Amino acid sequence: MDGTSKSAGLPGSVVFALGEKPIFKPGDRVRVSTRSPVGHYRVPTYLRGKSGSVERVIEPAAVDNEEEGYGRNAGSKRHYYRVAFRMSEIWPGYAGSERDGLHIEVFETWLERGER
Amino acid sequence: MTETEKLVNRLPNDIGGLPADPIQRVDHELEPWEKRCHALADVLDFHKIINTEEKRCGVEALGAEMVGKLSYYERWIVAFANILFRKGILTPTELALKMKEVESRSNED
Amino acid sequence: MTHRHEDDAHDHDHDHAHPHAEISEGRPGYYDIMETAVRELLIDKKLIGADEIRRQIEVLDSRMPALGARVVARAWTDPAFRARLLADGRAACEELGISFYDDTSLIAVENTDKVHNLIVCTLCSCYPRPVLGLPPDWYKARPYRARAVVEPRAVLAEFGTIIPDEVEVRVHDSTAMVRYLVLPKRPAGTGHFSEEELAALVTRDTMIGVVPATVDVAGAAP
Repeated sequence: MDGTSKSAGLPGSVVFALGEKPIFKPGDRVRVSTRSPVGHYRVPTYLRGKSGSVERVIEPAAVDNEEEGYGRNAGSKRHYYRVAFRMSEIWPGYAGSERDGLHIEVFETWLERGER
Repeated sequence: MTETEKLVNRLPNDIGGLPADPIQRVDHELEPWEKRCHALADVLDFHKIINTEEKRCGVEALGAEMVGKLSYYERWIVAFANILFRKGILTPTELALKMKEVESRSNED
Repeated sequence: MTHRHEDDAHDHDHDHAHPHAEISEGRPGYYDIMETAVRELLIDKKLIGADEIRRQIEVLDSRMPALGARVVARAWTDPAFRARLLADGRAACEELGISFYDDTSLIAVENTDKVHNLIVCTLCSCYPRPVLGLPPDWYKARPYRARAVVEPRAVLAEFGTIIPDEVEVRVHDSTAMVRYLVLPKRPAGTGHFSEEELAALVTRDTMIGVVPATVDVAGAAP
């Protein structure tokens, strides 16, 4: 995404604010950050550093719930994504089908672009 | 990571993947105060006096021992009290005196 | 069990599934008193209204699995509604008059011959309360929350649900503002059932995904 939109009939091109458009799109490979915040977080420890793929962008953008936890009810709106992981990627030695998966919502600031 | 670092880094509610007992299909009809506590949580969120995420954060802040030993709505009401103190909406003294009053009221019945 | 133990720094806190406020001679317990005191102080300060609490209790009492069952039965009998439900769970429920008082959105996930869905919230107890009411204690307790994401097939087996290997198990860990509702498979042999009769087959647990919907509802949880 280049942050601009060239629509017919409009003079020039419209520039979107940082964070206004989702960074990832369905099908993108992503990796959950390995950071370890203290106090409050909404990405479970078991997913840190795991790779999955974006299933859908959850609209509309929403306030980062790790900030909401401290009473910030507005601002810092970014996109949430539903991300799909293979169970065998999360749990080495997973007892079940190779197809089994885990689906979870992850806030954009937690996601890094993964390998193709 | 040292033991104390783990305590700081992993919140008491973050239990996905940890060892646990077999499932027991337990349930109970809510006590009247538990239902009131749930309604209170919703109303506090509607007004953003305590939003849902602050409630979760407040429960985590109780620490592993209280999270482990208090029941579900006991955790909520204690977390609400702490958050309301921190926000300067209530004071600990105010709540203690009010609790005394509520208790004496029920003794009169 | 196949857990990894590396991060087990915590007490084996058994999340209490029962209230242990002591009830002696009808006197309110400590936490009951605390709740009354907090609520009354907030009402005294005009931050909340007593009427709001009363109303919200009515709201909570009006939300029960029967609402979700109506949604499922409609989806089973009306393909266009089913498509709308899967596209936007909240909007489809709103069509049936179910409001989302907690401002969550809803994703309905469909069980098929190829996929079995299971809902959990490992970090707290996120649950589609507007559609199903309040969650059962086991859903909020440690064993289910800890294990559903790491050994879902073993957890399902403890509910008597055996998923064949060729069926994909999809676990949904609900952590933000989206809630999940399982659209169970319509039981075989119900072609002649009315929508109302179908709704009677849909229990709470079928919509969490721990058991299938069956014609023999007596075997399912209340």
